[in-house]
Amino acid sequence: MVTGNLNVIGYGLSAIGPGIGVGIVFAAFINGVARQPEARGQLQGIAFIGFALSEALAILGLVLAFALQ
Amino acid sequence: MTILATAPPPPGPNPGFESPGVADFQLPPIFGPVTKPVLELVLAAIIVYAFFAYTARRPQLVPSKSQFLGESLHGIVRNSIARDNIGPEFLKYVPFLTTLFAFILVNNLFGIVPFIQFPTFAHPGMPYALAGIVWLMYNFIGLRKHGFVGYMRVSTWPPDVPWWVRIVLTPIEFLSNILLRPVTLSLRLFGNMFAGHLLLLVFILGGEYMLLHSQSVFLAVLSPAAFGLGIVFTFFEAFVQVVQAYIFTILTASYIGAVLADDH
Amino acid sequence: MTHIIAAEELNPLTPHPVEIIVGLIAFGLLYLLLRRTAFPQFERVYADRKDKIEGGLKRAEEAQQQADDLKRQYEEQLAGLRAEAARIRDDARAEGQQIKAELRAQAEEEAARIRQRGEEQIAAQREQVVRQLRGEIGGLSVQLAERIIGDSLADDARRSSTVDAFLSELDGLAERREATPASGAS
Repeated sequence: MVTGNLNVIGYGLSAIGPGIGVGIVFAAFINGVARQPEARGQLQGIAFIGFALSEALAILGLVLAFALQ
Repeated sequence: MTILATAPPPPGPNPGFESPGVADFQLPPIFGPVTKPVLELVLAAIIVYAFFAYTARRPQLVPSKSQFLGESLHGIVRNSIARDNIGPEFLKYVPFLTTLFAFILVNNLFGIVPFIQFPTFAHPGMPYALAGIVWLMYNFIGLRKHGFVGYMRVSTWPPDVPWWVRIVLTPIEFLSNILLRPVTLSLRLFGNMFAGHLLLLVFILGGEYMLLHSQSVFLAVLSPAAFGLGIVFTFFEAFVQVVQAYIFTILTASYIGAVLADDH
Repeated sequence: MTHIIAAEELNPLTPHPVEIIVGLIAFGLLYLLLRRTAFPQFERVYADRKDKIEGGLKRAEEAQQQADDLKRQYEEQLAGLRAEAARIRDDARAEGQQIKAELRAQAEEEAARIRQRGEEQIAAQREQVVRQLRGEIGGLSVQLAERIIGDSLADDARRSSTVDAFLSELDGLAERREATPASGAS
């Protein structure tokens, strides 16, 4: 028998999208740096802001999984 | 492990493996209200201070080994985090960012240090507080630089956007830049530490159960696999802990840089 | 056991106030201490290092500049010296030519003077010779006449008259020659 909270499954689902999004962000970042290594500093900041933005959704999922009992 | 003490295997004839969960993070107080994370916070501050005080005690042009260590850590934050993300005025924020990075890093690494083995930020209090400091800081910097209207413009009014996109975009920008940033910043750190610790608990406690409590020879023989995976994931956690400290710091620098920028 | 604890308290998102208070104090103290002590040291070392490198470059540049200046100075001096030398050479040549011309003029003058003196000397000697010859010619002609006449002059009377005649003739001759010295040689 499996016991647990269905919220956690919701969190798992909510992490799919951000996972893909974060992957896309860093793929673009790596591509950009590979093409223009001197732009690394500028791209890094943008990449991490984009990463934070997309990961925010997964974090909201985590919060809701715990907060909504 | 002290964590074991909080979640002893339930009595009775083999009730089955109880997977580690949220309850394992409720640590008993050591004395008064002081729990292990409280001591860890103090210890981390002492370690970070000792490290930098030792490495910077006799600075020379040609660095000694210890000075090189301290300079490397300081230099990473200074050059690759602060300078690249904040811009020309980065020097003012380097001490804060370096302290932040070192403090978070040490607290995270407590998660895999033997006999401590609890990442401080698997309790959400301090991440909230740090994110709150960062939030206050970048809002204050933005307000001081642009004034209220200018700051709102910078953070919610992206240029070169058609008006019908703006109807959707501006509330989202406001939400994400002003309200959600501290939440995501703190919860990202907390979530990673929490999940990482839980992961290690599952493997180590699971392996222990298989070896000692399962009364099944088959499981007992397989238990080294669980411990082995636990060790593998310990290394993985070490990586995640460093990366999370780095991300927290670089996002802080990005936020400061974004409000210091003249346009969006 | 652990499940008896209320769900509210189990929620992992609930912060522990003690941690926040202690953590903030620890972090704040750490920040203030490090900002005062360690980080300025590092920044000073970075600045020193940068100074050293940039100073080294600057010093090298200055040395290069100095060397260039010195070189230009030397070249200027050298050019000046070369011009000076050429000028001196020209002067010397001109002077030499002048001296040569002077010497030649002097030598020619000397030569002319010597030649003139020689001519004068020659003239004087000729005069002398002529004068001598005239004396001797007198004696010789007497001897010759004596020999030719010889014995015919044995008697005194004749002789004395002849001599007188001869002498008077000679006197007349001498007088004539003194009036017209060109014909005196005969």
